[in-house]
Amino acid sequence: MDRLTGWLWRYRRRVLLGFLFLLVVDGAGLLVPLVIRGAIDRLASGEGGVLASGLYIVGLAVIVMVSRFLWRYFLIGSSRMIERDLRNKLYQHLLRLSSSFYNEHKTGDLMAHATNDIDAVSRACGFGVLTIADPIFMIPVAVGIMLSIDPRLTLYAIIPLPILTVFMLGFGKVIHHRFEAVQEAFSGLMEKVRENVAGIRVVKSFVQEEGTERDFAVTNSVFIDKNMALVRVWGLFEPLIELLGGATMAIVLWAGGISVISGSISLGDFVAFSQYLMMLTWPMISLGWAVNIIQRGRASIERINRLLAAAPEIVDPPHPRTPNGSKIEFKDLTFSYPSRDGSVPALSRIDLSIEEGTTLGLVGLTGAGKSTLVRMIPRVFDPPPGNVCIGGEDVRDLSLATLREMIGFVPQDPFLFSASISENIAFGSPGASTEQVERAARLSGIHDEIVAFKDGYETRVGERGIALSGGQKQRVAIARALLLVPSILIFDDPLSAVDAEREAFILRNLREFFRGRTCIVIAHRLSAVMHADRIVVLDKGQITERGTHAELLSQGGIYRRIWDLQQAEKEVNGEPA
Amino acid sequence: MSQHSPHDDDVMGKAFDLRLMRRLLHFLTPYWRIFSVCVLLILVLTGIQTVLPYITKIAIDDFLTLPWAVVTLDQSPSAGEPIPLGDGRYLVQPGKVSPALRMEWESSGALSAKRYMFVAQGSPQQVVVDRNPQVFTVVPEGFFASDDALRALPAADTITLRQGAITGVIRLAILFAVALVVRFMFGVGHVYLLQLTGQKVMYDMRRQIFAHILRLPLSYFDRTPVGRLVTRVTNDVAAINEMFTSMLVNLFRDAFLIVAVMGIMFHLEWRVALVILALFPFIALAAFEFRRRVRSAYREVRRQIARLNANLQESISGIRIIQIFVQEIKANKRFQKINVDKYRASMRQLITFAVFRPLMSFLSSFAVALVIWYGGQHVLSGSLSLGALTAFIQYVRMLFEPILELSQGYNVLQGAMAASERIFILLDEPEEDRGGGERIENLQGRIEFRHVWFAYKGEDWVLKDVSLIAAPGSRVAIVGPTGSGKTTIIRLLLRMYRIQKGEILLDGVPIEQLDLAFLRSRMAVVLQEVFLFSGDIMENIRLRSEIPEEEAMEAARFANAAFVEELPDGYATEVKERGVTLSVGERQLLSFARAVAFKPQILVLDEATASIDSQTESMIQRSLEKIMEGRTSIVIAHRLSTIRKSDNIIVLHNGKIIEEGTHEELISLRGLYAALHALQFAEAGAE
Repeated sequence: MDRLTGWLWRYRRRVLLGFLFLLVVDGAGLLVPLVIRGAIDRLASGEGGVLASGLYIVGLAVIVMVSRFLWRYFLIGSSRMIERDLRNKLYQHLLRLSSSFYNEHKTGDLMAHATNDIDAVSRACGFGVLTIADPIFMIPVAVGIMLSIDPRLTLYAIIPLPILTVFMLGFGKVIHHRFEAVQEAFSGLMEKVRENVAGIRVVKSFVQEEGTERDFAVTNSVFIDKNMALVRVWGLFEPLIELLGGATMAIVLWAGGISVISGSISLGDFVAFSQYLMMLTWPMISLGWAVNIIQRGRASIERINRLLAAAPEIVDPPHPRTPNGSKIEFKDLTFSYPSRDGSVPALSRIDLSIEEGTTLGLVGLTGAGKSTLVRMIPRVFDPPPGNVCIGGEDVRDLSLATLREMIGFVPQDPFLFSASISENIAFGSPGASTEQVERAARLSGIHDEIVAFKDGYETRVGERGIALSGGQKQRVAIARALLLVPSILIFDDPLSAVDAEREAFILRNLREFFRGRTCIVIAHRLSAVMHADRIVVLDKGQITERGTHAELLSQGGIYRRIWDLQQAEKEVNGEPA
Repeated sequence: MSQHSPHDDDVMGKAFDLRLMRRLLHFLTPYWRIFSVCVLLILVLTGIQTVLPYITKIAIDDFLTLPWAVVTLDQSPSAGEPIPLGDGRYLVQPGKVSPALRMEWESSGALSAKRYMFVAQGSPQQVVVDRNPQVFTVVPEGFFASDDALRALPAADTITLRQGAITGVIRLAILFAVALVVRFMFGVGHVYLLQLTGQKVMYDMRRQIFAHILRLPLSYFDRTPVGRLVTRVTNDVAAINEMFTSMLVNLFRDAFLIVAVMGIMFHLEWRVALVILALFPFIALAAFEFRRRVRSAYREVRRQIARLNANLQESISGIRIIQIFVQEIKANKRFQKINVDKYRASMRQLITFAVFRPLMSFLSSFAVALVIWYGGQHVLSGSLSLGALTAFIQYVRMLFEPILELSQGYNVLQGAMAASERIFILLDEPEEDRGGGERIENLQGRIEFRHVWFAYKGEDWVLKDVSLIAAPGSRVAIVGPTGSGKTTIIRLLLRMYRIQKGEILLDGVPIEQLDLAFLRSRMAVVLQEVFLFSGDIMENIRLRSEIPEEEAMEAARFANAAFVEELPDGYATEVKERGVTLSVGERQLLSFARAVAFKPQILVLDEATASIDSQTESMIQRSLEKIMEGRTSIVIAHRLSTIRKSDNIIVLHNGKIIEEGTHEELISLRGLYAALHALQFAEAGAE
């Protein structure tokens, strides 16, 4: 199932039907010149009966029309189905891949696979297969008929045609390369404009308008040069086809004309002959194209297959166990990101346990490893075996669904989907009632702002909707996690974009919700964690301080210094300290 | 590319707008000569195309069929070298009769469709007659035989008999080949010239639009997404190019082709031509209806592709959320639904095409059938020659192409009009005011803000009644919390925006009176976020100016940016793709080097807040001290050391100056500055 032929085999019935109707089209089409020949010969000898010829042609045309519709429908249609299936398959696969995969593959590249490569496969399966199949039937039959009319003339006349095919083969490649160069130059042009608009302040403050224009002129003319390089090849395309196609006609005029005069073929033969040649020109050209299209489709399916071959790293264990409660334990955990080799571990020797129903505050400077630590819990990244346990069981021994359904996670970057606000809040609990959604929103301190929107909870967010502020997004993300009613809650600094006052208010609200759940709160502002049962300070991947707020203040370490700093800041902002 | 453009760009206007067209053609004027050559070439090419079937027609009528026919008249024909056969019948050569006379005979049915060969008494071909006397009928002037009768001749004899016709056919074949070669050469030349013109026009348009963008006021950039401007310069121009190169020229070609082919058809047999012409409205109707459907089907496909891509993009960026919330199944269902919608849309498009193309080829075959039936009648009655009939078949096929393309052209035109409308709206946007043009000789560098009020929008005052003075060579530090208006002061000084009230003076001259380029070139700005352009380090120091490399390097050394020299490629090191990643500190130093290289009298600086390792930090400090020496400096300060060494400190809060003085003065004031200082000090202690 992994190659083009495999995909075609899946829709073999439709493909076969397509071929069948293609045969009908070609067969009926090939009869037309014979009808015309009969008509011409009868007219030449002064006989009548051309009405019958006309009717024959119309009849054949009707058959051709219907069959043409049908082969397009079946053959090209199956390529659309292949495209659809392949895209579904790829998407399903992408859903299962782990974070480390996404760290290594840029979104843009993955998008390119899912769009360009799948398009190329679809084109190869539809248009590519058609343009290969059509000539395979058409050429032998047409040439056969021509041979039966005049073998010598046939040999002369079709000489230019294979040249066309060979020429198209080589041509397609050169055009493809030059076309890609044009595309690249076009991207360069876009990037040039984008960059200078983005850096317009620099351009203006250093009065570099004229210089920038000169610089742009270079990129601008590179694009023109690439285009003209393409034109130099591609511009030959149509004229050359016309030349070679026309050459066959010239040969027919010469050799065929003499045959008519010497009486070895009739005038009708002559006309039919030229019609066959015209019919042959296109398939010969497209044969060259088709080879290129199929080659590209093959390369694309290979790229897609490589992607499909990437195995998900984080998977369900063969025999999943059931956790007993929601106590979280880190046992001598040391962790390095797989992609950053040789560097200092992101976490080293973390020993920490969070009793069921208690709240842990996690504090530290940027890059201390706070986010990395909490990501181990839902297995965004896999910890070494036995190092992270929930309810007494290694997280790696739990099924992913069981594990993740226990956890309400509010990430640092509050990613929302382009959907309504209520859909976003109910993202993890699709069955939730309106009341439940609103309660979660109230708890997160966002309800009032949502109802103030014109469409309330149905307001769309994201690309085509309204742009929520960073703080609003964060609170929607909190509501999304709360609605799960999870036994474990993880807050990865989710209120950084909310002002201190509102943060304090929301956290006061949530204290009730936290009760009975195992919670980890990462925060920049210490006011957000000061009421936690226990607070841990992380520095360069290691735990440096632990204790309650009061204990840590008296220790006079990093925690104390951050505290003093934030108090001073409050004073400047005119807030009560 | 274009599928990611903002959706307001998809709005299509009317297909033709004379005002826009006139402005567009303006871009073509410099190249009208080369463009006229293109049009001329296309006329020649179309001419050759219509001539080719006619060559075949001549070959058939004059050489492939026998040269003689029988005409039945009351008197001897006045032309065509008549040979009387008795009973008012004459053998004539229709090829040697004037067209008018021939048409007269044809329309009265006097001319036979059957053709004959005549051999004159005593001519060289008589040997054939002598060898095959049973084939020929004898008349006083010579011998004649019908087409059918001649078939009884041996091939060698036929060739001897028809030597003239063979030579004639060979001549025509050579003429045909020559026409092909000419068409090929002209065709290549035409494509090349046309594309060259199109590219030149695009080049000019892009240059003009880009230059205009560079000169727009900053307020314009604040309210316009970058992507939109990129689309103007790239995709929109490409849409116009497509109109110039494909549509406009094809319009000439198609119009000419239709006129030429119809002309020839009417000349050959006007009644048959009229019948074909009667088919036209049906074809045109079908074509336009098809276009309409294709357009809507195409739009639906684009819409679905956009949905699909948006969903895919979102799924990939939000994959962690999907996985953590265990929503893979739901996400998959949603994607499948969109995927199926897209599939349905593309099937609809497929069916539209699958109906139309075959329908068109049916109509074309129908026209051929008409020619054979109706034209056949005229061949039998003698008013249409066989050659003309075959030519007719080819001409009918030729007519169908342009009709299909005309409706295609409509789409291109519509796209180009919408694109040009957007481009002209951009070009009509007023440029930044270049100032009064004054320049100050021997600039001292005294800066004064006098009761300056400023708002980006309406009455949202960002600066309220701000007054400050920086004496030549002095250092002014601006201090205040985020959002207090510090950055705005810098922007106003550079005249990035116009103030609403008050005055900003440089050496006592209001900056509006100064030449904008002069004003800005006297100041060097170092912003917190260092913007690097793609290119190497050298380019990023001297930007696009003419500063010699030697000076740029000196500036880099002066600014303590000597780290550059240790890079493998030195100043030629690329800074973006395929290049090194510079640290925040290195980027800072680079921007200092940039400022020094431009030798400004005034330095405007927004100090970086990002934490930098202490070694780099002290390097930056030392570098800064050197740069500020002897220059008027306005610094948005975040570091205690910078603030302390300032001659004057301005404390900004909510757009107002609330405290002002030296460090010592402000500390003793025990106000906001003192509190801020305590904070800074605490931070310094923490590190």
